[in-house]
Amino acid sequence: MKKSMKICAALLLMGAASCTDLDVPIESEYTPGNFPTTPESFVAATGPIYTQLRSRYAVDYWRLQEHSTDAAIIPARGGNYDDGGRFRTLHYHTWNPDHIIVKDVWEWGFGGINTCNRILNLFESAPESETKAMTVAEVRTMKALFYFFMMDLFGNIPIIRAFGETDAPATAPRVEVFAYIEEELKAALPDLSTTVGQLTYGRPTKFAAYALLQKLYLNAEYYTGTPRYVESVEMGDHILAEGRYSLDADYMSIFAPDNGAQIQETILAVPYDANVAEGNHFNRYGLHTAIQEKYELPFRPSIALSTIADYYALFNLEGDVRNDTWLAGKQYNWDGTPITISTTKKGLDETYEGADGTAPIEWHLEFTPEMPLRFPATMDIGNDVLGQARGVRSIKYYPDKNANPSTRYQNNDMPVFRLADVYLMKAEAILRGAAATAVNGELQTPALLVNKIRERAHAPLVESVSLGELLDERARELAWEGWRRNDLIRFGRFEDSWGYKTDSNPNMRLYPVPTSERTLNPNLDQNTGYQ
Amino acid sequence: MQKQKQKCRMRQFFMLLILSMASHWGIAQQAAMVNGIVQDATGEPIAGATVRVVNEAANIDRQTSTDKQGLFQFEQLPEGGPYAFVVSSLGYETQRLEGYRVVRGERISLAIKLQEGTTELDQIVVVGYGNTKRENLVGAVQSVNEDDFNTGVFSSPGQLLQGKVAGLNITKSGDPNNRGAIILRGPSTLRDGAQEPFYVIDGVPGASIDLVAPDDIVSIDVLKDASSTAIYGARAANGVIMITTRKAAMGQTRLSYSAYTAAEQVSNAIEMLSGPQLRQYLEANGRSLAASDDDGSDTDWQKEVSRTGVSHNHNLSFMGTAAKTAYGASINYLSNEGIIRGTSLERFNLRTNIQHRQFDDRLKLNFSLVNSITNTEDVHDLVYSNMLKYLPTVAVKKPDGTYSEDWSRTRNYLNPVSLIDNNSFDGKVKTLLASGQAEVDIFDGLKYTLNISAQDEQVSNNIYYNSLSGLYQNANGRAVRNTVNNTKRILETYLNYDRLFGAHEVKLLAGYSWQEDKFGDGFQTSNQGFVSDDLGYNNPGLGDPPAGVPVDYGNMRIQTQRIISFYGRANYTLHNKYLLQASIRRDGSSAFGTNNRWGYFPAVSAGWLLHNEGFMQDATAVDLLKLRAGYGVSGNSQGFDAFTATLLYGSAQRFYYDGSFINAIGPFQNANPDLKWERTGMLNIGVDFGLFNGLVSGSIDWYDKRTSDLIWTYPVSTTQYFVNQLTANAGEVKNTGVEVLLNAAPLRNSNFTWRTSLNFSHNTNELISLSNDNFELPLIYTAYLGGKGQSGNSSQIVQEGYPIGTFYTWRYAGKNEEGVTLIYDREGNPTTAPTSDDFAFAGNAQPKFIYGWNNTFRYKNFDFNFFLRGVSGNKIMNATLADLNSPGEATFSNIPVFTLDEAANDNNAYLLSDRYIESGSYLRLDNATLGYTFKLKNASTLRLYTSGNNLFVITDYRGIDPEINMGGLTPGIDNGNYYPKTRSFIFGLNVIF
Repeated sequence: MKKSMKICAALLLMGAASCTDLDVPIESEYTPGNFPTTPESFVAATGPIYTQLRSRYAVDYWRLQEHSTDAAIIPARGGNYDDGGRFRTLHYHTWNPDHIIVKDVWEWGFGGINTCNRILNLFESAPESETKAMTVAEVRTMKALFYFFMMDLFGNIPIIRAFGETDAPATAPRVEVFAYIEEELKAALPDLSTTVGQLTYGRPTKFAAYALLQKLYLNAEYYTGTPRYVESVEMGDHILAEGRYSLDADYMSIFAPDNGAQIQETILAVPYDANVAEGNHFNRYGLHTAIQEKYELPFRPSIALSTIADYYALFNLEGDVRNDTWLAGKQYNWDGTPITISTTKKGLDETYEGADGTAPIEWHLEFTPEMPLRFPATMDIGNDVLGQARGVRSIKYYPDKNANPSTRYQNNDMPVFRLADVYLMKAEAILRGAAATAVNGELQTPALLVNKIRERAHAPLVESVSLGELLDERARELAWEGWRRNDLIRFGRFEDSWGYKTDSNPNMRLYPVPTSERTLNPNLDQNTGYQ
Repeated sequence: MQKQKQKCRMRQFFMLLILSMASHWGIAQQAAMVNGIVQDATGEPIAGATVRVVNEAANIDRQTSTDKQGLFQFEQLPEGGPYAFVVSSLGYETQRLEGYRVVRGERISLAIKLQEGTTELDQIVVVGYGNTKRENLVGAVQSVNEDDFNTGVFSSPGQLLQGKVAGLNITKSGDPNNRGAIILRGPSTLRDGAQEPFYVIDGVPGASIDLVAPDDIVSIDVLKDASSTAIYGARAANGVIMITTRKAAMGQTRLSYSAYTAAEQVSNAIEMLSGPQLRQYLEANGRSLAASDDDGSDTDWQKEVSRTGVSHNHNLSFMGTAAKTAYGASINYLSNEGIIRGTSLERFNLRTNIQHRQFDDRLKLNFSLVNSITNTEDVHDLVYSNMLKYLPTVAVKKPDGTYSEDWSRTRNYLNPVSLIDNNSFDGKVKTLLASGQAEVDIFDGLKYTLNISAQDEQVSNNIYYNSLSGLYQNANGRAVRNTVNNTKRILETYLNYDRLFGAHEVKLLAGYSWQEDKFGDGFQTSNQGFVSDDLGYNNPGLGDPPAGVPVDYGNMRIQTQRIISFYGRANYTLHNKYLLQASIRRDGSSAFGTNNRWGYFPAVSAGWLLHNEGFMQDATAVDLLKLRAGYGVSGNSQGFDAFTATLLYGSAQRFYYDGSFINAIGPFQNANPDLKWERTGMLNIGVDFGLFNGLVSGSIDWYDKRTSDLIWTYPVSTTQYFVNQLTANAGEVKNTGVEVLLNAAPLRNSNFTWRTSLNFSHNTNELISLSNDNFELPLIYTAYLGGKGQSGNSSQIVQEGYPIGTFYTWRYAGKNEEGVTLIYDREGNPTTAPTSDDFAFAGNAQPKFIYGWNNTFRYKNFDFNFFLRGVSGNKIMNATLADLNSPGEATFSNIPVFTLDEAANDNNAYLLSDRYIESGSYLRLDNATLGYTFKLKNASTLRLYTSGNNLFVITDYRGIDPEINMGGLTPGIDNGNYYPKTRSFIFGLNVIF
């Protein structure tokens, strides 16, 4: 008896002693214990910066920069795309701190900043090398870029210098944020690469840092109250003097589905891939189902996104290839036959009152710049065939027949900085008071710089150029590239009326700090006008 | 030093044990005045039976228990009488022998045969790591025996209980591949997939419930309160369901065959417009369909996608014994055809069991092997919305035999028949459970048990979108295949010590368990571009994908979780009147943060058997009156990623690097070393009663269940953390409720019996908090239902002071003079252009009452049963109706008859608002069964029966059926994805030899 009891007890106790181990193997995941270790893993570790950048650059970030301007609009159509008023409030300038896109973009931008900080922290343990110095410089440049986006949208934002700060960061005035971006870029410059092309396409080179500085200084008067146009020109000249970039002869090729490192003028790109680098949805939102076949789109586009008549009116130069980035007026197949939609009179126009409303008709598809409102309260233009065809469509990011049929993502890369912008920024800085400078023996006046662009676009050349004309040139050249809001604010035109918008409250130049973020961090101050 | 002390204590313990036994044997050698033997009906001795001797006049009350040979004795009983002997044993009817007089020198010899128990008091209730008699139970446990199981075409054991257990809310659609949601005593977690009770099948914790065919189950015990469940520690907070399968008993031979065949149909459909109705409606409004949308047809798409499902089930089992070995085997085959074409479940179960006794029955070995193979066929969810929305004016197929499709329309508008025919979603699950058990009787009352089980599950999913599929257009066929292996290894070892010391009955349990689960060990592959659809998904290698289309390797993650536990329980019964139970479990789980891996789960409870008190002896009407109260703590760690507490790096998609897109590797999960289980403390007070010799019995329970440390994913600052979310413990939720169970047998004569059972329960759910010192969250918006122009609009809110499932949506303000729907804005003014700032509270999805009423009649060889069940006081968001109710869309998609009463220009009619929040109360005739039993030779029986399920529903709900999924964080939402309920007619037979 006693013995068997003892054996039992022993079994139990034995179990107790040897079997309290709860450490299980992690077999299919990288953990801090095994990542990063190899040089390849350090490269892979920097990837999240770039995946973060592209995740919302072409959709949500773009919406804040373009939907709040005259360049882009998504009206409701029979209630579709009202989506809680998110596009309506962007257009009317009536957004508030609960706006979902504002929240998403704040999280995106600071996610990018913190990702950069985290990776800088990770790299502290890596052995010193030239590659490490360059990678660290790239990460700092990307951090400066995210900071620039955030400062441009929100103005006064917290400065987070390193990863792991446990105190909630406090709001810093825009002037300080500006200085911090400048400081980071200057510190990164010496170690950045000057190699352009495939190796650095999608990653920042010295020239990308210069382009960002050029942009920063161009906006300095608005951002900080201190004009720095001379320095802006100087930064541009660093890029121009090296001569690594040239304007591509074919304007459309810059944005085509197969664009990439072969494009000669892109200084910093956000590379997209329909299948493995997702985030470009221009075709999905912007195109009409009736042209799906013509452009061999493998999915049904959702007809939502177009430009506004006032903006389309700027594309008025004869022979300008940039006019072809828009689909307006009657539409035809490649063979010249009209693209038609089978409907009825009432189906075409809900408001048709005639007795023959059910009479079938073949309607020739026509994209009209004007978008008369059917239900003004919801900015709704109706979902009849006419309503669906309202608004001029963009094919600047040319329809991609290799887009992913289920996710609807496309392959077109999006430039952040390109040579044309460098030219136009330089021209503007000179018009705003900087002296014209010579580059490699060529004295570059504003007219000369603008003509470089116009020549490529096959548009009429100019004798001279005013600031107003320069803004319009920027609208034509850089349409839907995410700069319209920045330009309108710098030119004092963000309070103008366009589309259905009449608001002129200057507080709307800054977006509000999202409510959710202020709950998380009580040290964040709200921007003026949103308290 | 400490070790030595322990040793000392152990030695003392042994000495005590040995002394007690020595005295027992010593006395046994003296001449006894009363002795006897206790046997079962077949003459086998019953060991461990309790024999009580009572002489009320002399205030004598002693008890003893039988030995291995079934023998017992009392010595030196004072002369006199009358003496009564009460003999009881687990599973047998208690026998009372009255009127004995003790006379010096005269011996009383008793031979007692106990009949197998049938009354409720004698019922054995399976509790964690042991059994107990219902009378001695101190927790809230409801048992359902096979006689009371629901009848129907069931693929999951949960359905056997629907409506039968007070406090257990089961919701299930007609989908054979959907297990439904089971919630006990209200939702107590915010995490989806973490609400299911914990299943213990024949003592194997966490075994797959697919392994048990309903026909093989003899009883299910639902452990509801924490004093019962706490012995299962960190996994028990949602309640524990103990399933006991049929096993061979010694000396028994039983061959049985049971089978049924059933015809099932859609029980209800939404009344949509027919083709002519739609044309007429449009014409009246001066509109018409596009030519391509009207080929003159009148297609009822709901009818086209549904069918009469024919299902059948066969179960053959045999049990027998040879000497000291009992064995049993059963096979079960179920073919369950869904009422939606293209959905089915086919399951084959094999169950074998061997028990063997050796060494004077001191060693009991038990081996079992269970295998289950399940094949499923499913359809895409879009079938359910398109069977309503697809225009009735086009035929299923065009005259040329191709499917009518219009892919130029919005993405989700797809021919529902084509969706079924041109896509396959097939699954296969193979599960094997092998277990071995050794039970050693070390000496009287002390028993050692060792359980070892291993479960191996292979899950395969195969998908093929063929070249006509609208889900993968122009891909020329796309195949996705994956297979995953999941294993569980469990070791349980424990000691039971059950002894009587005079009036003191003691039961002790101490145990250890070790469990390792490994999930997600598998892979996936995909390909597309096949030259023909003939091979389906069977040979992905034959595809030719266009350049740049990557293989979808899925996100396969091996997750290993280890759970180690120590547990103990003590039961003490004094004079068979006062019951005390205390238990404790110490659980460790690898899934939690390194700071909080171990936790204690204690419980205490007490019961008072008033009917055994002297002062109740005159109240002969009272068979049973028991008061009980208990408090315990259990945890919830279900539905958990094994590595939630760990910092993990994974693929953050791909980025461009030197000419190609390479994997970016970044953190996707923060470490939280403080992460621990959700903690549920539950107070339960109950009363059990039995009156008038079995005429009426029942129980009433009141509980207060508080769950703290709720796990939620909190937004955190990325200035401090790697990722912007952290899974952490913070919130608190409360459920309080009452459960009532009443059984009655109003008629009990030899020809006619009527048994009736009523249960109802009421639960109040309230979220106490979402925050603690570290994490603050005012509320969670949830139930993003999408719908036209409402992307990003939520419909429910999780907020302090409100129950889970609280609707938070627009408030309907009627119509304006044009007939356009108005919504109240934040200031209370009607508007036609509401924004998401205008949402307001609008009731909640939690039912106030859940009830079931079962009736069984027997007349001679006939038996008749009917079962009603219902729910009341809950709200449902009928988003299906809202989405359909869009007069303006009538040229694009069909509208329901409901919409005919709307203004044709109401461009807001579909907006989700409290207009679509409807009462979900219903009363359902769930089942009616009529059977006849033929008595064959040699006690064999044959029973034939016919049965109907879901015969009627009384409800005001406007959707297909008010039994909407109550699981998850967003209960009570009907959103166009509802698989209709079935109505079935069954014919079946059971034959037992």
